[in-house]
Amino acid sequence: MTFYEKEIHRVGRIIYANRSQIDTVIRTRKYLDRNYEANVNLNLLARTHAVSKFHLLRLFKKYYGLTPAKYVTDKRIAMSKQHLENGMSATQTCFAVGFESLGSFSTLFKRKTGKTPFEYQKEQLSRSF
Amino acid sequence: MRVTVISIPVLDQEKALQFYTLKLGFIKKRDIPLDGGNRWLTLVSKDAQDGPELLLEPAPLHFEPSKVYQEELMKAGIPYTQFDVDDVQKEYDRLVELGVEFSVKPTAMGTLKVAVLNDTCGNNIQLVEEL
Repeated sequence: MTFYEKEIHRVGRIIYANRSQIDTVIRTRKYLDRNYEANVNLNLLARTHAVSKFHLLRLFKKYYGLTPAKYVTDKRIAMSKQHLENGMSATQTCFAVGFESLGSFSTLFKRKTGKTPFEYQKEQLSRSF
Repeated sequence: MRVTVISIPVLDQEKALQFYTLKLGFIKKRDIPLDGGNRWLTLVSKDAQDGPELLLEPAPLHFEPSKVYQEELMKAGIPYTQFDVDDVQKEYDRLVELGVEFSVKPTAMGTLKVAVLNDTCGNNIQLVEEL
């Protein structure tokens, strides 16, 4: 066994000691992956794990390094890129990934990627010729 | 400022190009000849071709401290860098089939699953899946 392998086991035993917390956050992430385009209901999710919503938020941030809201935003942007690459219109994409207005979607998309959805799509589609 | 290039030191650029494209599945983006047979050789992920480029740089051949650092990381089994995959076990099975050697088999740790492979050019590379 290499030094590195020993170390990851040692550190893993310390930071991943609480199995029930790990199960809770992994299930939360899977829930967010399945429901990113809908209104995410963390209250309901917290109740099913018998923890408070705030505790769940803290746990998620502790293990994944970002809040569930930020995680969902990143997921929505990643999925919208895929839709745009596949030729879906910006308006359809906006609603498909769960945004309620084209304005807020475009602004956020530009902030995260440096381009508007229209510019991004134009660039991607011109690349394939 | 933008992150556009990250580099990996390799002992043989041509061999690394073959390994990273044919086995790991990256795509060659830039290949610019430099002096002394060296190249500015970059790769991108197949599904993020406008993402950051991976520079395969021949540093260990020309700069002793880089060679020493790379050798010591290799000996300790420490990954030089890591790549995200959707499914570590699936990638492990695919790569083992292609003859790639692993020093750490797929290992679940908390919210992660990791495995560590040998890139045949002086580096350990970690594959990571977020659970």
